[in-house]
Amino acid sequence: MNFTLKIWRQKSAKAAGRFVFYQVSGVSADMSFLEMLDLLNEGLIAKGEEPVAFDHDCREGICGMCSLVINGQAHGPDKNTTTCQLYMRRFKNGDTIIVEPFRARAFPTLRDLTVDRSAFDRIMAAGGFISTNTGSAPEANSVPVSKPKADAAMDAAACIGCGACVAACPNAAAMLFVAAKVSHMALLPQGQPERERRVLAMRKAMDEEGFGNCSNEYECEAACPKGISVSNIARLNREYARAALFFPDHAESGKS
Amino acid sequence: MRCLVDLLESSIAKKISVALAGILLVGFLAVHLAGNLFLLAGPQAFNGYAEHLANNPLLPAAEILLAALFLWHIAAALVARAQNRKARPHGYQGQRAKGGRTWGSRSMTATALLLLAFLIVHLKSFRFAPDRSDLYALVMKDFQNKYYVGFYVLAMGALALHLSHGIQSAFQTFGVNHPRYTPWIKRASVAAAVLLAAGFAFLPVWALVTGGAR
Repeated sequence: MNFTLKIWRQKSAKAAGRFVFYQVSGVSADMSFLEMLDLLNEGLIAKGEEPVAFDHDCREGICGMCSLVINGQAHGPDKNTTTCQLYMRRFKNGDTIIVEPFRARAFPTLRDLTVDRSAFDRIMAAGGFISTNTGSAPEANSVPVSKPKADAAMDAAACIGCGACVAACPNAAAMLFVAAKVSHMALLPQGQPERERRVLAMRKAMDEEGFGNCSNEYECEAACPKGISVSNIARLNREYARAALFFPDHAESGKS
Repeated sequence: MRCLVDLLESSIAKKISVALAGILLVGFLAVHLAGNLFLLAGPQAFNGYAEHLANNPLLPAAEILLAALFLWHIAAALVARAQNRKARPHGYQGQRAKGGRTWGSRSMTATALLLLAFLIVHLKSFRFAPDRSDLYALVMKDFQNKYYVGFYVLAMGALALHLSHGIQSAFQTFGVNHPRYTPWIKRASVAAAVLLAAGFAFLPVWALVTGGAR
């Protein structure tokens, strides 16, 4: 297969970027989108040109490192799919494919298609944890968890933190990510001690990073490679309202 | 004042407050529409209702509350809109939806601006009209003007779109989301939006076509 790629090239975070057209030929239909980019880069290196920088790691859809907005859609056209699990058979031979980085003020472009998603790490550091002793795992059945709650928590915990929700959101909001993390821990007994402090702190960190406001357009859910439901955002809204109205003293103190 | 600033500072508190004001405004619209339907019963019934309302001692307080709801709904949404624009300084080359957005959700800002323009014209022509002694005649005079009626119907189309997203969105914002009920909330939201807008739009069209009840 042959493709024309229209790729965002940007030398550094400070430099101005622009789209550059590339031809890539000899692509197998069974290549993943990232393998197709590898092929392009091998050609560029052979010609002595600078390869296109893009993020990737596990290439099996579980690490959350790959990104890209492909033809205007985060992680490309398929549902519940990361870019590394998107295959070239999904495209037609001869297609022109537009490849852009995730765009958000809170995700500054570092180089070409790579963006800095450490804003998510800072939100997690603000409250996305539980306080527990490590090193001596307790007996698993000593803290009972009901099956529906365990399922809902597991669904939320499937978030790989890739940032597609932010990329797809018309407002560049990070609500689905924060909702997944808050839900995952609010649903389980281990998350209860910091329940109020967590949601207040993570909301604050999220806003301070410069993400947009959620307007319930649900593009995040549609773009999420793990199919995280917006029902988690409803839970985040509930958790936040509960904590802000009835436990405001938990906001600054850090105690639970 | 301080607590209002706090509300704007938190993205989630802000959105809950916008949704709460919005839902209360929908409640006002339902009552407003019920009042408008007196037009169908003729001048005596309509003017009688208007007089009854004007003589209610709670009216000034209700009007102030209503104005506050409108102002907060608009102002907080504008703040959010400005923040959202700032949150993505560099847009995409043709961002394509993946199935989340609806016509209503896409057009929220456009329908909001059209409704704001309508609200200003509407208040000027009825609430702040120089002579309000015969409200029925005042309303009917404007409703005989086909441009006024056209603008009215257009604005009600915007209302239908705005509420088709707004009502169901408010439920989500209040944290009401459940696999069993949410599909019905979405359907009921669209139905309520269309019913309200059609109810309002019906009256000027009826007045234009039939010349009103005699």
